[in-house]
Parts: sequence; C-alpha cells; structure tokens
Amino acid sequence: MTTVAARFEIPFIQILNEKAELKTPLPEFANDKTTLLNLYRNMVETRIFDKKAIALQRTGKMGTYAPINGQEAISTAIGNALHKDDVFIPYYRDYAAQFQRGVKMSDILSYWGGDERGSDYSTNNKDMPICVPIASQCLHAAGIAFSFKYRNQDRVALVTIGDGGTSEGDFYEAINVAGVWNLPVVFVINNNKWAISVSISKQTAAKTLAQKAIAAGFDGVQVDGNDILATRLVIGEAIEKARRKEGPTLIEALSYRLSDHTTADDATRYQPKDEVDSASLKEPIGRYKKFLEQQNILDDNLEKEILESSTEKVQKSVDEYLQKSTQPISSIFDYHYESIPDYLIEQRAIAMEDVNRG
Amino acid sequence: MLIVADITLVEAVTQALAFELANDDSVVVFGEDVGKNGGVFRATAGLQERFGESRVFDSPLAESMIAGLAVGMSVQGLKPVAEFQFMGFIFPAMNQIIAHAARMRNRTRGRLSCPIVFRAPFGGGIRAPEHHSESTEALFAHIPGLQVVIPSSPKRAYGLLLAAIRNPDPVIFLEPKRIYRLVKQPVEDDGKALPLGKCFRLREGTDLTLISWGASVHETMLAAKELAEDGIYCEVLDVATIKPLDIETILDSVERTGRCIIVHEAAKTGGVGAEISAQIMENCMSSLIAPVQRVTGYDVTMPYFQLEKFYLPSVARIKETAMSIME
Amino acid sequence: MDIFNLPDLGEGLPDAEIHEWFVKVGDSVKIDDPLVSMETAKAVVDVPSPQEGIIAKIYGQVGDVIKTGAPLISFEANVTKPLDKGTVVGNLEESNDISEDIFTIGKDSNKKRAITTPIVRILAKKLNIDLNLLKGTGEHGVITRDDVEKAANKKNELPEGYEPLRGVRRSMLNSMVESHREVVPVSIFDEVDISAWYENTDITVRLIHAISDAIKKEPALNAWFNSSHGARKCFNELNLGLAMDSDEGLFVPVIHDVAKHSDKDLRQIINDYKNQVQSRAIPADKLKGATITLSNFGKFSGRFASPIIVPPMVAILAVGKLYEAVVPNKGNFEAHRLLPLSLSFDHRAVTGGEATRFLGVVIESLQKP
Repeated sequence: MTTVAARFEIPFIQILNEKAELKTPLPEFANDKTTLLNLYRNMVETRIFDKKAIALQRTGKMGTYAPINGQEAISTAIGNALHKDDVFIPYYRDYAAQFQRGVKMSDILSYWGGDERGSDYSTNNKDMPICVPIASQCLHAAGIAFSFKYRNQDRVALVTIGDGGTSEGDFYEAINVAGVWNLPVVFVINNNKWAISVSISKQTAAKTLAQKAIAAGFDGVQVDGNDILATRLVIGEAIEKARRKEGPTLIEALSYRLSDHTTADDATRYQPKDEVDSASLKEPIGRYKKFLEQQNILDDNLEKEILESSTEKVQKSVDEYLQKSTQPISSIFDYHYESIPDYLIEQRAIAMEDVNRG
Repeated sequence: MLIVADITLVEAVTQALAFELANDDSVVVFGEDVGKNGGVFRATAGLQERFGESRVFDSPLAESMIAGLAVGMSVQGLKPVAEFQFMGFIFPAMNQIIAHAARMRNRTRGRLSCPIVFRAPFGGGIRAPEHHSESTEALFAHIPGLQVVIPSSPKRAYGLLLAAIRNPDPVIFLEPKRIYRLVKQPVEDDGKALPLGKCFRLREGTDLTLISWGASVHETMLAAKELAEDGIYCEVLDVATIKPLDIETILDSVERTGRCIIVHEAAKTGGVGAEISAQIMENCMSSLIAPVQRVTGYDVTMPYFQLEKFYLPSVARIKETAMSIME
Repeated sequence: MDIFNLPDLGEGLPDAEIHEWFVKVGDSVKIDDPLVSMETAKAVVDVPSPQEGIIAKIYGQVGDVIKTGAPLISFEANVTKPLDKGTVVGNLEESNDISEDIFTIGKDSNKKRAITTPIVRILAKKLNIDLNLLKGTGEHGVITRDDVEKAANKKNELPEGYEPLRGVRRSMLNSMVESHREVVPVSIFDEVDISAWYENTDITVRLIHAISDAIKKEPALNAWFNSSHGARKCFNELNLGLAMDSDEGLFVPVIHDVAKHSDKDLRQIINDYKNQVQSRAIPADKLKGATITLSNFGKFSGRFASPIIVPPMVAILAVGKLYEAVVPNKGNFEAHRLLPLSLSFDHRAVTGGEATRFLGVVIESLQKP
C-alpha cells in the first residue's frame, strides 16, 4: 500500500514585472514613499559604484573585483529589511546591503585593492566580511544565529549565496542544522544563472533551488530577484518570521549576471548574446524607475539629483581609497593572535628591516 | 569545596569542561554524541545532565558544519568547545578551520576573532579500525593563526584545557586516546590553568634531552628510566604546546646536554620533530655533540591494528637511538 | 523474568499439546537450543529457545494443552548490565595505577635569547659585541642596530681619568708590544774603564767607533731578522740608530753608512739630529734603516738596563751614567772613570758567543786612549 509521505510546493512571487506592470497589490511598506525612494537611490548608487570599481580595476588601481551589475535589487532589499542589530553574512556580490549597514564604499575598494583594513568595518558592527570559500559562510550564519538563540535575543542572521554555492556540502550542512535546530537565519540565494561559466542547468537537477529547503525541513520561496518590491517583501517576511522564532527560510531570488564573474573573467566566452540581451531588459533599476515615475514619486529633477549625489558619493569614496597609505609591513604580523607570539618577533623585525632597505 | 579526585586523562578533560561551563556562560560544548551518551570516550559524561541541553548538545553528523558553527558562534562572543569524534574525521572541517578560524582575526584586523577549542582524540594503539588512529598535528602546526596543544597526563590535561578554553584564539586540542585511561592522578578541581606555550620538564638529566608529546611521552619516560640504569641520564621534556613552541626551554636543555632525540608517533617527513630539529640547529649548533635525532612513526599510513604496535615508537627504538649517539 | 509465549507453530493453529520437555527449571540454555516438542494437529514440532538464559519456570507438563500466545516457559531476568567499555571502537587500556604528576614548567631562568635580525648579528660580530648582554630597545624587545652601535661605543669609551696615548707615545706602545711578542732578548752587562781617555773626548763618537770595530768582528749583531721566514741579513755598512730623547718621547734618527763619515762629520750629524728632534723637524727617511742601535740613556741616572730590541734589528747597545769608582791597579786602589755598558741581543738570531765577543771588542775599543 503506498501513501504520500511528503509533498511540497514552491511559491513564486512577483509584484512588479519587467514591463513595470503591477501583478499584485502593493505591499504595506510601499505606502512609505521615503522607503520607496531609498530603495531606488540605493540601487542607483550601487550601480554607479560598480561601474567605477570596474574602471579602477581596468586602470590598474584596484585588483580583481566581483561586479554586481544587474543584481542590485537583492542586496538592496536585504539592507533595507535587516535591523541594525541583526547580522549580515555576505558572499561577494552584496554591496548594496553592506553600504546600508555601515560598510564604507572605500572599505570594499580596499578589500579588492589588497588591504585587509577593508574588512575592518569602522562602525564595528558584527557583520561578517566578504567570503570567498564558496558556501562556507552559510555555516557561519548558522553559528551566529545559534548565538542569538542561545542568548535568547530577537536578532536574525541573514546569509547570501550564489546558485553555484548551493552545490557545496557546507550549504547542505548549514540548512540542515538550521532546520533541525530551528535557527533564526534566512538564506538568500542570488540565482543569477551562472557560476563563473557553469550555467544553472548544469549545477543541479532540482527544478528550483528553493526546494532544497524542503530537504532541510523548512520553507523555500522563489522570488523575482529583479523586482525590488517582491524581493523586499519576501525577504522582510522571512526575517520577521525568524525573529518570531518560527524558523529559517530559503529564498531563491532569480536574476541574471549582467557582468563577468569577476574582472578577470570574460563572460562573452560563454554567455549567449541573445540571452544577455533579453536579460538586460529585465534588470531591476529600469523597471523600478518606470514604476516610480508612474507613481509620481520620481521626476527628472529628482532623478538628476540622485545621479549627481550618487556620483559624488562614489567619487569621494574612490578618492578616500586612493589616498589611503599602504599599511606598514609590521601589520602582516600584528593581528594573528591577541598578543604577538615570540616566534613572530624576529620574523617581524627582519621584514621591517627588509622594507627599510628600500 | 575543592574536589581532589584520582582521575584519568579523559576524566580530567571532563573535569575541566565542567569547571568552565560552570564559571563562564559563554562556553558551550557540542559535537556528535557528546550529549546523553557523554561522548564515545565519555569525555563529556554527565555534562548534559548537569548543565542542560542548551549548553551541552549533540550536533548533526557533519564535521565541516561543526567547525563552521564554531566560527559563527565565536565571532559573536561565545566560546565553543567543538568535538571531533576522532582526529581522522577532522579532515572535512579543514576548510573551515584553516580558511576561517585561523585567519578571522588577521583578515578583519582584529575586529572579529575566534576563541574556539577544537577537541579531538588522536593517535593509535587502541586496536581501532582504520581512520581512527591518526596523528596529523603537523598539518595544524603549519597554519598561521592556529595553536596546537597536546596534553600527556591527567593533571596537565586539566590545566591545559582550561587555558585553551580561556585563550582568545583558536586552539586545536588533541587528546592522546591511548593514554586516556592508562594512569590516574590526583587533580584538584581548582580552575587553575597551566600556561600554553611552555614545555614541561618531567625528568632532569645531563647526558641527553628527550623531547616528546602525547602518548609517546609514556614510552619516552620508560626509556629514560631504563637508560639511567645504563648510566645515561636523560632530561625529558613534554612539549605540550606544539604551537607556539617553547623553544627557549628546549634550547636551554640541549645547551646543557648537547644531545637530543625527538620522539613522536606521527609520520617522520614533515613532522613537528623536523621543525624542532631545525630550530635547535639554528640556535645552538655549537652546543651539539651529535646531530639531533628523531624516533617517529614511519612514513606510512597507520597500519591496521594487527601491526600497529610495530609502527608506534617503542621504548627499544628510543633506547637504541640514544645509545647510538652517546660515545 | 522474561516470559516466552507459545508461538504460532504454523498457519494459525490455536494451540498445541506438550509432547516432551528437553529442559527443566535451572537449566542454562543458549539461543536455538531445543526447549520442548509440541504436538499439533498436523505434526510434532520442536520449539527452539529464543534467547540465552536460565530457565525460571515452565508453564505446563507433558500432555497439557497450551494456547497459542499463552506463556510456555520463562527465563531468569538478565541482571548484569553490559559493562560500559567507554569507547566505540577498539579497546582502551586501563589501569588502576595512581601516581602524582611531577613536572616543572619551562626552564629554570627567565632569561630569553637575544632577538634580532641577521644584519644586526653581522654587525655585532664585527664590533665584537655579545648580543646576550644587551637589552633591545626595538619593538617587542628586538635588539636594533643602534643598540649594538651604542654598546660598541661604550666599550671603546675610556674610564674616568684616562687619556689615550697619541703620537710618539703611541708608536712607542706599538713597537714595545711588537718587540715583546717576537723577540727573545738576552742582556749582557759590563763596564769599561775610560781613564786613559784624553780630555774632551767625544763619548758618542768613541762609542760609534767601538760599535764599528765590533761589527767588523761580529757582523751577526749588525743584521736584520725576518721571523716569518726564519732568515737573517747581515749588513756590511753600519747604519747606526742613535736614540734621542725629547719632550715628545724617544726618537731614533739613523746615521747611514757610518764609515764614510769623519769624526767631525759625525759630531755635526749628531748635533743636527739633536736639533731636528727637538723641533720635530726630522725627515722620515732619517728615522729608517737602522741596522743596530746605540742608546746613551744614562744622562740623569741608571747604570745598567735591559734595552728593548726593535725588530728587524737584533741588537742594541745601551750606555749608562758615567761614574767614578775605586778600582784595583797593580796592587793599589785608584779612582777611575767607568762607563757602564748593557748589550741586549735577540737570541733567535745571535748566539751568546757572538754577543760576548762583540761586547769584548766594544770594551777593547773604548779602553784605548
């Protein structure tokens, strides 16, 4: 005799489609025009920053950089939805969230520019730095969420990961423990369809990435990641659900990587042109701009102001980054332990001498 | 009320964990089977009962997860003591330990740090199946940002584990399971930590410095006793903290004796004995009467238990090496 | 007690009759041992033991009918719990030995080795500084270049009240040390009676002549010795070094090839030298090339001395203070003028015989009127 042991459904949420048409009624937060404008401003700033960062790399003023072009809505929504006391655990394409949480633009430039101080966020919040070993950040998020649960705090951890990352063991181990321990953590997948040159179709047989949550025992949701309104809504709801101690959520935000994987990559080698062209029509800022104009929230003057102030902010940050002096060589020794061990003292002196030899 | 019990090494681990759990509520103890079962070697016996499931708890079966959780917990100010059931199963966790725990302080310029203790029983000699008898402390000693501590007696296990838990940076704490229950000592539960980064001198001598750690200290002490009967008086040092190494004490001893043998169970090539040997040669070459020797496990995978006793450095091998460098 | 109920012996039989018991109360059985044979409607079937144990009770005798599912036999409850081996693999050796943990922490002294860089070590070696005696002023106690240089300067600093020797005194220091290091000196002392001399005899010129005569007899004392080759060079001509004191110190100008000068010349040269020495105007070449030295030291005091031989020379004749003494002469005692002589020679290159014969000639020459 066969019965059904389990079934699942993965909802897909979209509010504003690529033609700027409202598919469902506006969510509550949209009643606040300031919020709506902030979301727009954050995305525009991030895109201008992104372009500038690529230019810096191309002119030899910064090292390899991971662009965010076309995916600004996801981290903008995250940054807007998280509370100050929550903790954000990024991968490496989340600048819009980081900028809203006290990470300076010049910090991000320093990080990719080869300076560890880029991860020493001066506002001393407890957010994690950019994470390079793929998916390993998911376990950190689980541990951080555990600490909130352990201390009975109302805080939430939110971690991001790319589509490729969901093939990693650490991802599965993290969602598994988040589920079985009922941790206050939200997992957000930026499914931009590409893991360097490997397309999502080669990454997994699962129809959606969101459904991997079912295996971990909690809800998975798919959302149009280029629709800032839907993304903000879904992420916000998941965060508050976790805050109410109702457990984790896995959110798969669908977008498209309208850039190289990093500045050292050449996506034209493997991204089909027609696919890229059609994806560009679906990017987040264009449709949202149209929407704001339709709602009479944005006009040409305001648009101009936003562009100018964003450009100025970005330029200031670039100047700040370029003017930063290099760390002294002693800094490569001074942060390994709380106090420097004996065996490093001689090595440190040798290195300092070597540098002064000039 | 201070308790002085005659306890084994593994019981000393339990005693130290209990002390810290009782006195520091940022300490949590977790791993596979550490809860109700008290750990497969009973290292956490009774702790869940005493401190509750929120402090001492079982984790799902995933080593990378154990290490990654510890990273996340510790950056938020908890002091996780994470158990790996056997050193042989720590390898899936290497990425989290090396790419994150070891370098979190450095890469954030001190903003975030990882006060974690990663504990694991290690070493062979208990007739276990394959993979359960690993000695790969050298892999961890090599990594900047880590500390590696290996006790060799109940009293020192107690004091060193307290120090490891209180240390603000990650410690790999390896417990030599072959001597988990071999010896009982009175260990006062006074919460006094022993210093990390210090060798312990177990025996004074004038002719030869014997250096070891972990279970091999047992054979080394036996060899020293027998060599004394032949008129060769050995000084025995228990390294205890592999990293940061207390080279000062080692050099002080070798400068007096002029001869040195390093004994370790781990394989010879790239073992920690090579590092100690190099440092001795760099710093007190003129005191050496003979080259520094190493008596170690062979450069082979730990054999299945039928032949394992021939792999482990024996008293005979230590003695022979000693005689070969005495004139 | 563990009760074992009669199992269904086949296809839903409701009961069976006890046919024969194979065990009795108190027996110890292993798993699968036959307990009893039961007769059913269809067959006689043996029932095997479901467990290891000791029979506690049997629930019927031969001939009794037992319903399927009803108690048939029971075993004594297993009282001994399995021992906790305290491991999940293998076997941990245990012992009940109790011992004290005896150890000391670290080493006896708190002194740490000097911490510095290879470049500073090289400097310390060059400047002869023991790094272990220094306290490093660099970060974390590292010994710096400065630390080493300061220590070297301090080492070279003079203690209070001392003044370093300079100029001529310094030369004297150096040449005395060199002589002491190399030369094997022997001194012979004697006197010559110069009562026969005419008035106003030039002592120095007479001495020069005496030496000229002596080296003709014993050229071994008019020679240079090369210690690294163990070789000597005897000279025919006499280049006499004449020791002259001044305010600055000792100078030894050289009268080259004495033989070619008349007595008048010699006296002139000697006076010129005296003046030049006083005014420190003596040319350098006049201070070089002596093959033997004459030192008339006795102006103020002192009769005999053991003068220092300056290599590469092998001999020096020193003349002390002229004095009057009572000497025996043909049975009488007379007051005569005596000139004390001290001859030092380098015994590496000159024999005792050569030296005494040399001195003999000097005395003979000087005794003449």
